[in-house]
Amino acid sequence: MSSFTEAVVLQVGISVLLALGYWIAVSTGKYSFGHTAFMAIGAYTASILTLNFSWPLPLAMLASGAAAAVAGALIGWMALRLSMLYLAIITFIFSQLVNLLISQWEYVGGASGMIGMTGTTVPLVLGCVLIVVAYLVLLSRSRLGLAYKAIREDERAATASGLRITRIAVGAFATSAAVTGVAGALSAHQLMVINPELFGPRQALLIILYCVLGGVEYFWGAALGAVALSLLPIYFDWLNEWYEIVYGLLFVALMIVRPQGLIGRRGGGRIRLPRIPAGRERESVG
Amino acid sequence: MAEPLLRVSAVTKHFQGVEALGEVDLDVAEGTVHGVVGPNGAGKTTLLNVVSGYVPPDAGRVELAGRDVTRLTPQRRVPLGIVRTFQNIRLFGGLTVLENVLLGQHGRASTGTRSLWPLRSGADRRLRAEAEQALDVFELAPYRGRRAAELPYGLQKQLEMARALAARPKVLLLDEPAAGMTAEGRRALVPRIRELRDEGLTVVVVEHDMDVISNICDHVTVLNFGRRLTGGPPGPVLASNEVRTAYLGT
Repeated sequence: MSSFTEAVVLQVGISVLLALGYWIAVSTGKYSFGHTAFMAIGAYTASILTLNFSWPLPLAMLASGAAAAVAGALIGWMALRLSMLYLAIITFIFSQLVNLLISQWEYVGGASGMIGMTGTTVPLVLGCVLIVVAYLVLLSRSRLGLAYKAIREDERAATASGLRITRIAVGAFATSAAVTGVAGALSAHQLMVINPELFGPRQALLIILYCVLGGVEYFWGAALGAVALSLLPIYFDWLNEWYEIVYGLLFVALMIVRPQGLIGRRGGGRIRLPRIPAGRERESVG
Repeated sequence: MAEPLLRVSAVTKHFQGVEALGEVDLDVAEGTVHGVVGPNGAGKTTLLNVVSGYVPPDAGRVELAGRDVTRLTPQRRVPLGIVRTFQNIRLFGGLTVLENVLLGQHGRASTGTRSLWPLRSGADRRLRAEAEQALDVFELAPYRGRRAAELPYGLQKQLEMARALAARPKVLLLDEPAAGMTAEGRRALVPRIRELRDEGLTVVVVEHDMDVISNICDHVTVLNFGRRLTGGPPGPVLASNEVRTAYLGT
């Protein structure tokens, strides 16, 4: 495999991991605007462990997944009871806070970041993708997966069926954060250098777009979105400065023609804005 | 007299200063159908919301088989046996008919890592077979793979009831089950609820259709302006001048 092909496979693989991780949260209808926080937590945790404590990368990845999962559970517990808008705001602020903290923390190099991490290989990345895909196949055929879909569909109906929404959604959010953390660790050890800028709003938006482009109904939709959005900039670099304009226009056109994304049924798995109860429903006493 | 299965004692609820329920009492005996009737705004749905946990009362108590459940969330009441349907149908519209019923069984299914096992394995196979059977009973089997949102209104009502029954409730709360149904649908509803009662289920039903109420209920409680007006067997209660006046507002 040429070094160019290897670099492409690594980049696509990590993007797919990010998309699949994000999809786990989205499958419960919870949209985070700060998943880069978990990516950063994973990247920095793994980098500290491999550089400063000479941990092997796979072990450091496990630790980074665990650290991100704890952060995900904490932020999820606080924010997941709130509406979509507040969840978006809180997760965005959280990501900015994490970014600020690492840029001020001298131990991890402050704004300059950390340098010298290596070890991300194609088998390691593809192995992680396979594990996550296997988990998601299992999830999509299980009662837990059904519960995720139910929460995404209608929380009130889910409550009436006895689903403990917050607990299930927090579990999903923590799992999502863990996968994102592992992707962050792999990314850090592929790029060999990390700094707070890599985990800014641009990256956060990109992760969301993977899912929106591919479609949120099925996990392979998100994976396909990640593949497409990772490959487009590589193979369309001849567009130069026009690239982002063409890219944006294509996106708008797709959202008009296929609002459910590349994969998905019409009307299925679309982003649902918070539902305002009708007057009768809200105030009915009769 | 035996202890009632469901007891509501002196429940009071205000919305922005307006009294929706004022010291309402309700005793529901096991294996009976109890109707709650009254004009619009009488507090019937609020009462169901309080019993199912969707609205916390300002004062009063809700007990199930002697256990105080007043402060429990709706999802904690479901495994204890209080399950409801809604006035405005709440289904998982994007999920299939079968998946809707499977979700009704959530509280009875495996939890923890076992919830990740495929739906067709182990104990879940039995639950799945039960869900398929429920679809047969409610004549929903031909639509099992269809999205719930694609069903006509009457079948959606049936599906909501099938999902509620999948939780194996002790007390089933039905909020206007006949509303919006065709005459045929209403006729089918009466024997179905009677059958459930004969199987030992306790049902509390809020309904405007007095034919349905008088055909299925063993006991009726009448609410008016959030207060309990009267109660008793449906025949004499619905025929009383007091109730007629409340409905006609004269």
